[in-house]
Amino acid sequence: MTLITMLTTMSEGMLRTIGIFVLTLVGSLPLGMIVALLRKSRFSVIRLLIRVYISVIRGTPLMLQLLVWYFGPYYLFGWSIRGWRFPALILGFIVNYAAYFAEIYRGGIESIPAGQYEAAEVLGYSKGQTFMRIILPQVIKRIMPSVTNEVITLVKDTSLAFTLAYQEVFSLAKQISASQTSFMPFLIAGIFYFVANYVVAFIMERIEKALDYYK
Amino acid sequence: MMKKIIATLMAFTMLAAVPCAAASDAETASGAEAASGEDFVFKHGFDLDYPPYSYRDEKGDIGGFDVEMAQAVCEYYGWKYEPVPFNWDAKDAELNAGSCDCIWSGFTMNGREDDYLWSKPYSDNTQMIMVKKDSGIEKLDDLAGKIVGVQTSTSAYDLLNDEEGQAALAQTFGSLEVYETYTIAFNDLKAGAIDAIAIDVTSGNFLMSGETDYAFLDEALGSEQYAIGFRKDDTELCDKINAALDALAKDGTFDKIGKKYPEIYDYLTLNK
Repeated sequence: MTLITMLTTMSEGMLRTIGIFVLTLVGSLPLGMIVALLRKSRFSVIRLLIRVYISVIRGTPLMLQLLVWYFGPYYLFGWSIRGWRFPALILGFIVNYAAYFAEIYRGGIESIPAGQYEAAEVLGYSKGQTFMRIILPQVIKRIMPSVTNEVITLVKDTSLAFTLAYQEVFSLAKQISASQTSFMPFLIAGIFYFVANYVVAFIMERIEKALDYYK
Repeated sequence: MMKKIIATLMAFTMLAAVPCAAASDAETASGAEAASGEDFVFKHGFDLDYPPYSYRDEKGDIGGFDVEMAQAVCEYYGWKYEPVPFNWDAKDAELNAGSCDCIWSGFTMNGREDDYLWSKPYSDNTQMIMVKKDSGIEKLDDLAGKIVGVQTSTSAYDLLNDEEGQAALAQTFGSLEVYETYTIAFNDLKAGAIDAIAIDVTSGNFLMSGETDYAFLDEALGSEQYAIGFRKDDTELCDKINAALDALAKDGTFDKIGKKYPEIYDYLTLNK
């Protein structure tokens, strides 16, 4: 196999990797916020459920969760899982990352002093207005470094898709490495991941700077 | 607490499975009942890490002897061919869940006779020990105290862990290193991190092609056959594949495809 073929084939895999990455972020960033808010719900049942969800998701390997998402419908209900590979993969990633994001959001929300809520109330802000206009903008600024960490981890975690044999860049690297008896594909995959993360870090830094409007 | 965890997990799974169930109500996990129709889709389950039976070929496409044979069988019956590459460690779940109709990927039947419904064997394969030529290791007994590498979930691995196989020999090793792929094991052998690799002869030949410093020991570790594994109740499909293999062996297709893979050609059996 020529280097060009190797690069072309692996680029196709990289596109699929980016697909997992984007879909996971689009799903888990908002879902994490919902989870974080539910965790502070008035109803103790919901609070408990959310705590269980977070501890199960954080306490088990993502690789195992992906297997459960994919094979679960068959083993639990006997349903056919044809065509279920990619949806299961994305759901697994979204549900996993939402749990981590939720905890990051919670940390951010709880870091805002109670005095701000009181001040907002005195000024006549409703609860929703207080959260959206006063609390959330500050939270986003504070949690950016932690979110960047998670997002970079996500780029590398996409390689776990090999468990479900989704043909992303790392699965392809393994396969080509086996057929060409060479480590070159892993080196290429490493470069791909590094470049992707360099871009992610760059974008996140720009966002952080844009949010830094009080300095 | 445990009940809640289970309930939550179930709830999530249910939520997740709704769209898929809706989409595939008409499908059944078993391929048997549909296997007679022209529009039957044959879902070929295989591992893409197993050259030259199923792998990424020179163009980066899915290929290999097993893939080409499966395609030839589909052509013979007018079936639609659907490749289902899977992760080897999850092959049983994939087969049972019906995401594929068979495991056809250089799959050793020996030692697994009762676990699947087997087609007729189509390839011989022997487990060997690969060493550096100048290592001084000449027979199996010389492996005492040496570091031996093997790939996980392979028949060589099973053989070295089987009490009725070569577990006693494995006890004499200094250690048995289990690798994710033989490529990494081979690199460790090259680098001198391990002394030998337990490997089937076709994979071994594939690794050694283009290398001159490595050889198999004359003494074999064990011998085995490759066949196609089906779900145990899928007799109709199994019979059909067997009939097609016979026909393709007779008309020379089997031999023709085999010739494209010189590393394994000598071990193929249906053309002899």
